[in-house]
Amino acid sequence: MTPLGSAAAIGLQAISRIAQLVAVILVIATFNFVLVRAAPGDPAQVMAGQSGASDPKLLDDLRKEYGLDKPYFVQLVSHLGRVVRLDLGYSYRQRRPVVDLILERLPATLLLTVTAFCLALVIGTALGALAGLAAGSVLDTVFTVLSLVLYATPVFWLGLMLVLVFSVTLGWLPPFGYETINVQLSPIEHALDIMKHMIMPVTSLAAIYLAIYARLMRSSIIEVAQQDFIKTARAKGLSGTRIVVGHMLRNALVPVVTVAGMQAGALVGGAVVIETVFAWPGLGRLTFEALLQRDYPVLLGIFLILSIVVIALNLLTDLVYRLIDPRMTTGAA
Amino acid sequence: METVRAFLRHPSGMIGLVLLLVVVVVAIIAPMVFPVSPWEMVGAPFTPPGEDGLWLGGDTLGRDVAAGVAYGARVSLLIGIASALAAMAIGVVIGAISGYFGGKVDLVLMRMTELFQTIPAFVLAILLVATFNPSLLTIILTIGAVSWPPLARLTRAEFLRLRHREFVEAALCQGERTWRIVLGHILPNAISPILVVTSLTVATAILLESALSFMGLGDPNLMSWGFMIGAGRTVIRNAWWMSVFPGLAILLTVLAINLFGEGLSDVLNPRVSRRRS
Amino acid sequence: MNRREFTKAMLACGAAIPFGITRAAGQTRGGTLNTIIQPEPPVLVTALNQQQPTLTLGGKIYEGLLKYGADLKPMPGMAQSWEISPDGLTYTFKLFPGITFHDGKPMTSEDVVFSCMKLLVETHPRARQNFSRVASAEAPDPLTVVFKLKQPFAPFIGCFDCTSAPIVPKHIYDGTDYRKNPKNDKAIGTGPFKLKEWVRGSHVHLVRHDGYYLKDQPYLDEIVYRVIPDAASRALALENGTVQLVQWSDVEFYDVQRFKAQKNLEFTTKGYEYFAPHQWLEMNNRIAPMNDKRFRQAVMHLIDREAFSKRVYFGNAKVATGPISSKTRFYDPNVKRYEFSVDKAKALLDDMGLKPGANGKRAEIKYIVPPYGESYQRAGEFFRQSFARVGIDLVLVGTDMAGWAEKVGNWDYEMTQNLLYQLGDPALGVARTYISSNIKKGILFSNTQGYSNPEVDKLFDEAAITLDAARRQELYSKVQQILVEDVPVAWTLEIEYPIIYDKAFKNIVTTGIGSHETFGSVYKS
Repeated sequence: MTPLGSAAAIGLQAISRIAQLVAVILVIATFNFVLVRAAPGDPAQVMAGQSGASDPKLLDDLRKEYGLDKPYFVQLVSHLGRVVRLDLGYSYRQRRPVVDLILERLPATLLLTVTAFCLALVIGTALGALAGLAAGSVLDTVFTVLSLVLYATPVFWLGLMLVLVFSVTLGWLPPFGYETINVQLSPIEHALDIMKHMIMPVTSLAAIYLAIYARLMRSSIIEVAQQDFIKTARAKGLSGTRIVVGHMLRNALVPVVTVAGMQAGALVGGAVVIETVFAWPGLGRLTFEALLQRDYPVLLGIFLILSIVVIALNLLTDLVYRLIDPRMTTGAA
Repeated sequence: METVRAFLRHPSGMIGLVLLLVVVVVAIIAPMVFPVSPWEMVGAPFTPPGEDGLWLGGDTLGRDVAAGVAYGARVSLLIGIASALAAMAIGVVIGAISGYFGGKVDLVLMRMTELFQTIPAFVLAILLVATFNPSLLTIILTIGAVSWPPLARLTRAEFLRLRHREFVEAALCQGERTWRIVLGHILPNAISPILVVTSLTVATAILLESALSFMGLGDPNLMSWGFMIGAGRTVIRNAWWMSVFPGLAILLTVLAINLFGEGLSDVLNPRVSRRRS
Repeated sequence: MNRREFTKAMLACGAAIPFGITRAAGQTRGGTLNTIIQPEPPVLVTALNQQQPTLTLGGKIYEGLLKYGADLKPMPGMAQSWEISPDGLTYTFKLFPGITFHDGKPMTSEDVVFSCMKLLVETHPRARQNFSRVASAEAPDPLTVVFKLKQPFAPFIGCFDCTSAPIVPKHIYDGTDYRKNPKNDKAIGTGPFKLKEWVRGSHVHLVRHDGYYLKDQPYLDEIVYRVIPDAASRALALENGTVQLVQWSDVEFYDVQRFKAQKNLEFTTKGYEYFAPHQWLEMNNRIAPMNDKRFRQAVMHLIDREAFSKRVYFGNAKVATGPISSKTRFYDPNVKRYEFSVDKAKALLDDMGLKPGANGKRAEIKYIVPPYGESYQRAGEFFRQSFARVGIDLVLVGTDMAGWAEKVGNWDYEMTQNLLYQLGDPALGVARTYISSNIKKGILFSNTQGYSNPEVDKLFDEAAITLDAARRQELYSKVQQILVEDVPVAWTLEIEYPIIYDKAFKNIVTTGIGSHETFGSVYKS
């Protein structure tokens, strides 16, 4: 394939991916719409209830504002139109547009999830590779048991146990929050302060995925090691390190990255619980607050935005995929 | 018989089975060991473990944590199994249709499955349970509704594999009805990997339920492990035991089911097992 | 009215000398008070939103004409004196001279009339009730406001604190859509502190209003309200001195004991007299078996309210004896007492024919858990166990706020829990729950349980328009006896929220409005 042709293929694929993204957003927005209508109670009543007072005038105003007096189809179209314009509705409890609330909290969630994701991927594959190369050794056994246990541990409970040990008992790490409040810090100190607050949430979120990626990497390495091209490489007299790095790791990573991409959604879900445990001011805590107050516009908005984040992470893994395995021309097999 | 013997020789599978039996026995005998409801305030608030006859301590209201852990086993197993079955029902139906008919139907259904697989399942679960108010039924249906995609994909793959086998073709030639072919010929041959994955789904369902309860979305009338940890979160400085023991219970149960399921998988279908790694 | 009469009236009101305020010599200027606001209020304009956090924060920015002491008697606020005509129809307020809004414009009687009669009646449900009784409000001169009532209303003088009637600038709001006024973000009032900065999700920074009308006040330079949504983090912030004051439910009840013991902190449950949060188990009187008085009496017997206070509220509550809180006026302890007794409860249930069935169960009742946090959840669990002892299954139903409001407001419930403020006078905060004229479908905090007793109606009505305090006491005592016998709702506890603060700060609690107060006299030693 000529370089030009390959660039065109990638461009085409990017377009098809973006089209897919738009389709998914529309489907989720439609689903959100259906869910609100399917929920018990009149949406106007729900919104009025959330505004703290309910009288006939307010109900009428809300019905007009949200076009609830119009046919369903018209309502759906205008709802989708609003979503496209990034208008996710209005939180009557917080008296602010939902999109503002979400954008305000999104960076903290991204910081948490992306850090955890990278850590889990890097450390998980490294450990998995080590265990795989030394299959059957004591290290391998210890490691397999540990990953089995981690895999069975509820994320939120792991977080709590870390708090119990490192904050309550040892007093080493701040138990909750994103930064130390009410102190003047230089930018560097501030960054360090945030990092200190990040240690436990990131660890608890990364742990289970680390276990998953490590297990995958381990079996993947074992499988690759038995394949012909490795045997050929050895026969050709390539050194051990070069075989491991150049051929085995690269090939073994493919299934890991596939799974990592698919589990981005679960990772984001885990972030919701972890943020609740650590009072991390991201979308998870917003979810929890919205949940306590049953602030549906916010919950629906979070669902939409997080879905977009997950799909973006999927695109990202697609790119990584391409990097480690240049033979791949299309993402979907 | 051969498979049973094979399983008996599978060490981690046996560990899983034994652990699982312990959990099941605890669930069964809970009312005999703790005749008083786990909601009853039997001791002083925040009784430390071992005092006042409360082996695992008391919670904020002075309720027996040990009784809660024992009764929680019932709730977790019930919800775990019921929602895994719900997921299986949805997954098998969608996967079977997709795999049997193929073509456009397959395309549409698989796109939908992919969508469900990429969106954050836990957030969707929160949304569903919050909207329809938490109760045993809504929780089971919700967990089922977010856990079916792997089962659908597996069923589809099995159906694709079996669809053109001789015995199916033969049945088709004899003019058997579609539903008879699906239920009578294909499904029985596809069932064992489906059962294995369903058993593993029980574990994820238990984790999902505990996370929902932890977030305050459990059935308020059921003493569940996630609920107990959630109640212990804010008071972790005063009473570590409120969150430690129920968490251990979840860990052991999920570990047991995973070990058991994987052992089963190794014994029943080495093929699927390898693929799933 | 001549000058002599006016002075006499002032003295009669006890108005000239503010009491309860430490008059120490060394009141120093300066200092910052860090405290907590949770949950973060949607707006700071107390005229537009009356949720507790809004009132706590907005109380520093917006002031009322009066304040109320721990005994709920009026004290000067922006009004330095006031007079009530003998027929109880005319209320005349004299304002302090030199009051200015934070934008520098003077505050005059015109602003008071506008606020009370035009803006608040639109936006503030409680004020709407109060000022709908006014026939005319006038501003004869910039420092005088005269309200003429349609008929006497004894608690009218209790309607002028910063939470019930905050004064807003007419020049900003007149003729605009109040709720959407762009200046709402600026929160311009007359209080001792003005808004400097509001970083959403982080903090609200208030600074000294230099043009404040009281000499030297405010003493503090600034107050910072920190938004800390997590309970454990809030407790930590108080413990390590990051914040120096917590109020209402900022720290959870189980942590209060710990702070009582901390040496540098002062603990008090004073400062809530005006609100006197009163809590009860609400029973829909329209439905069997709750429509039987004996059943409701049995409920009073079967809840161990001492234990309820101890276990669910960690002792931060007092057992309620009836409809009126012991923290407020016209409380009468001489009413029928319902001691905790499962046997008496069983006897009453047997007597009404609600006997255990074959399975040992007498009834199954749905209880809607109010969606307002963990202690409500625990309370529901406590009630369920209490009812189980007599063979009644209480099935807890979880719901959201809209669902709770809709179900309770529309009488579509069997049991739930409720908590109402007493608002300084039974006519304002108590009567609304029991009089039959307030059985209004769709309205929360009305007589939702549907209790109706003509005698109770008559007594409450008469007490509201009676001016003589002794006569009012008589009427309210009678009403308390009848209600406690009828048990329209099962009163459980008077919740005692704490105020905990660093001992370096003085004058934190000076009135019955506590932490909602202006804090103009708070200083750091």
